[in-house]
Amino acid sequence: MSEEKKTLIEFQDVCKKYVQGEHEFYALKDASLTIDEGEMVVILGPSGAGKSTLLNLLGGMDSATSGHIWFDGEDLTAFSDNKLTKYRAENVGVVFQFYNLIPTLTAYENVALMKDIKNDTTDPKEALASVGLADHMHQFPSQMSGGEQQRTSIARALAKNPRLLLCDEPTGALDTDTGKEVLKLLQDMSRTKKRTVVMVTHNSFFADIADTVIRVKNGGIRSVVHNESPKDADEVNW
Amino acid sequence: MLLRKMWRDLMKNKTQFISIFLMSFLGMLVFVGLDAESSGAADSVESYYKEYNLCDLWVMGAGFSDDDARMASRIKGVKNVEKRLALTGTAEKYDNAYMYVNYMDSNDINSLMLYEGEPFDPEKDGIWLEEWFARTNNIKVGDQFSVKVDSTRTEGIVRGIVDAPDYVYFVSEADVMYPNYTKCGAAFMSNVMYPDPKNIVYNQLLIDVYDEYSDDESVNVIKRKIENKFDRDDMAVTDRDQNLSYATFDAEVRQHKAMGIMFAVVFLAIALLGIVTTMARVTAGQRTQIGTMKALGFSKASITFHYVSYGFIISALGCISGSVVGSIVMPAWILGMFRGSYLVPDLHGTVTGLDIAATALAIFVSTLVSFLSCRKELKDPPAITLKPPAPKKVRHSGLEKSRFWLMLSFSTQWNIRDVLRNKLRSLMGILGVMGCAMLLICGFGCFDSIKGLMDKMYGELMTAGNKILLSSDADADYAYDLAVRYKGQMIEETSVEFVSDKVKKSGSATILDRGNFVHLQDRKLKPLKLNENGIAMTSKMAGLLGLKEGDRVRWHLVGDDKWQYSRIEQIYRDPSIQGITMKRKVFEDMEYTFKPTSVLTNMSVDPSLVDEDEVSSVLNIEGMKASFAETMEILNAMVYVMVIAAVLLGVVVLYNLGVLSFVEKTREMATLKVLGFNSAKIRRILQKQNLWLTVIGIAAGLWAGWGMLYVICTTVSDTLDMFPILYFPTYVWSIGGTFLVSIGVNFMFSGKVKSIDMVDALKGVE
Repeated sequence: MSEEKKTLIEFQDVCKKYVQGEHEFYALKDASLTIDEGEMVVILGPSGAGKSTLLNLLGGMDSATSGHIWFDGEDLTAFSDNKLTKYRAENVGVVFQFYNLIPTLTAYENVALMKDIKNDTTDPKEALASVGLADHMHQFPSQMSGGEQQRTSIARALAKNPRLLLCDEPTGALDTDTGKEVLKLLQDMSRTKKRTVVMVTHNSFFADIADTVIRVKNGGIRSVVHNESPKDADEVNW
Repeated sequence: MLLRKMWRDLMKNKTQFISIFLMSFLGMLVFVGLDAESSGAADSVESYYKEYNLCDLWVMGAGFSDDDARMASRIKGVKNVEKRLALTGTAEKYDNAYMYVNYMDSNDINSLMLYEGEPFDPEKDGIWLEEWFARTNNIKVGDQFSVKVDSTRTEGIVRGIVDAPDYVYFVSEADVMYPNYTKCGAAFMSNVMYPDPKNIVYNQLLIDVYDEYSDDESVNVIKRKIENKFDRDDMAVTDRDQNLSYATFDAEVRQHKAMGIMFAVVFLAIALLGIVTTMARVTAGQRTQIGTMKALGFSKASITFHYVSYGFIISALGCISGSVVGSIVMPAWILGMFRGSYLVPDLHGTVTGLDIAATALAIFVSTLVSFLSCRKELKDPPAITLKPPAPKKVRHSGLEKSRFWLMLSFSTQWNIRDVLRNKLRSLMGILGVMGCAMLLICGFGCFDSIKGLMDKMYGELMTAGNKILLSSDADADYAYDLAVRYKGQMIEETSVEFVSDKVKKSGSATILDRGNFVHLQDRKLKPLKLNENGIAMTSKMAGLLGLKEGDRVRWHLVGDDKWQYSRIEQIYRDPSIQGITMKRKVFEDMEYTFKPTSVLTNMSVDPSLVDEDEVSSVLNIEGMKASFAETMEILNAMVYVMVIAAVLLGVVVLYNLGVLSFVEKTREMATLKVLGFNSAKIRRILQKQNLWLTVIGIAAGLWAGWGMLYVICTTVSDTLDMFPILYFPTYVWSIGGTFLVSIGVNFMFSGKVKSIDMVDALKGVE
């Protein structure tokens, strides 16, 4: 672990309330946490615990009901829609459980799409090569396996050179071996490229590879544990 | 990259986008085509009128002197006045062609447009002939030409081949319904050609007003001033709108404009519906993609722009290409057919500002509609959009709560729900079928109505098998002998001008001698016995004049200056000849001489009769029907357009609809398959809904088609009083044809049910 830790993200008493008819319920209640730059964070919890809400708020895909979310000293909760869009475009890369590639674009084009929204993107070829897909560049998502699609999706996220990489159950739809490859890729991002990686999962085995493990339950932060010696991704089994 | 995505999305949904393209294309093709054609026709004729100085007012009366002309020219606003003697005669050498003969001492108003030969010169003898007549009868400059007016023959050398702005449209008295410029021509000559030039009595004053007085109101003021100044009973002043040539062309142009708007509305409405359903489906289907793009950091504006461009690009392509093709093809085609009916030199299409504005508007509305239909998916934050859509709120309709509902079979229940929950899609299907049935009914109905008109004219109203047309050589004795020989009925058909408080119209008068070959029908088409002591008027003419039974009408025979003021005793209905009918006795009581123009008979006529000088031709009933049918060429072309449009419309809309509902229902159908329904059963379920929509569409289409036919029949022209008629086979063809289109298209889809892969369809959405 590096010595001079810099805080990238800070949640201050963040609440997210949903209203359904006469029902009110908190997906997230008074959540406070900090994430340092370059960390690999795993957010753990059963379904419905508020993991995805946390991730959505981090990614500027949803807005908090109350509280503050600081990103590199700026308050996301005070951002306008336009500013949030800009924030997503410049700082955040997202990897989805179901990859969410544009089905009518090839792997290459899905990655190249990022050029439309950000100036200093990695060359799509390079990004795809870095996830081991140099040979699959001109295939459509429907022609690729799940692992290949997920790696394309990671390449797409990385191409933006985001400071924050958000992953929502990135291995959820993959078999164990492919899942491991993906995990390794994500861990490398944090370790070698110093990207902040935040991964949401309900799989507690992943806790071992993280620098920090945040456990969530019933909309609240249960615990934050720093892992002194995280395992390598290929050592994990599930 | 987004452009590539768009291209591939377009390809993936190509059927729908092609149908949107086709509808925009057809809509603009017909609208801009007809508008360019009609505006072009209006422009061409307007510049023709201007260049050759069509007069603004005609003053017609028994005789006008130089003093009269001077008096008229002193009225404020009047620029120039010319005298003219307009008569009718026959060109004996050319199958007794009907000739309009004009004597004039100058030609600054209604100037002749010269094609060949030398320009008109009032000092010179010789004859200037109308171009179509000269060309089709093979008359050249330098030929000898003679025309007989009453019993005097005027002969001269053909000096020039011309057209005249007041002879854009004209008909002979024999075939009042449709022009035949081979058998009816116009001749112009100087008054030096008049048999007795010193004593020529002009019967027309042509009034040309200054440009700043040429608006309707000022012309009307001048018209009233002339009437007051002359204050003569034997005189009538008519403006352009009352002039047959001007008004007929004007009406034709306006009818085409209206037709264009009607077609455009139908097609564009369907194109818009297509855009709504397709864009809603595309964006709903790409909901997670939209969420993804948002999560990736695309701004709402750029995503909106991306989806709106689909609608924009397709409709722009369709509308613009439709406009371009329409403005080139339609004017050429329709104006080509105009040439036999209207004598306007240089008829060409014009693209107006309206066409460009309409094209832009259509594109704008399409773009707006695509914006509105994809806005729904775009407004939510990405966290929401990334999730699958909340299931549609399912509300049970009142019907579903009733006990009746439980008695319905599963497939009926399923289909009712499907229709109610996809109202827009169902509406589009009904509209498509309706349009198809409507156009078929209306198209075939036009044929039926023409046939009905002919059957009525030759068979019900006129029951003689042969009509012997007499030439101007025949006198009353000759006609009488002929009537006795063939047990026939003598009739006189002549031209009349009617004047009411409101308008002036030309029409015809039919005078009947004893006999039983001519029958009248009242408004309700019941037989009507002609009054022994008064005149009867056709309902169409009465309508045009704003008169009813018991009113009085002022009229005079063309070529006779004596005005009559008669009570309309009866109203009858005649499909083709508008005017009045009376018994010979009534006519003679008005101190006219009965001069038969034809003899009707049921006996077969000696073929050699035609060779006699007194007989111009013998028409049998079949020949009359055939020659009438020939005159309906423009209407026939319209019918072809309608039938082609109907089938296209039906196929495109229903195919689009089929793709839409098939894709949407794939998962449902796969589920049904998993549950154990066999393909045939699923197909029957699908067909049931299609059948319902088709039946509703056809029912609506029958009604709308009848309405459209009614409008066409009643506005077709001033002289035709057509009644919309639909014969039984038309129903069979139209309903059958629509069903065929509907079932045929549906069959293409139900065949696909077999190929639905259960496993594939039940896997994840994307």
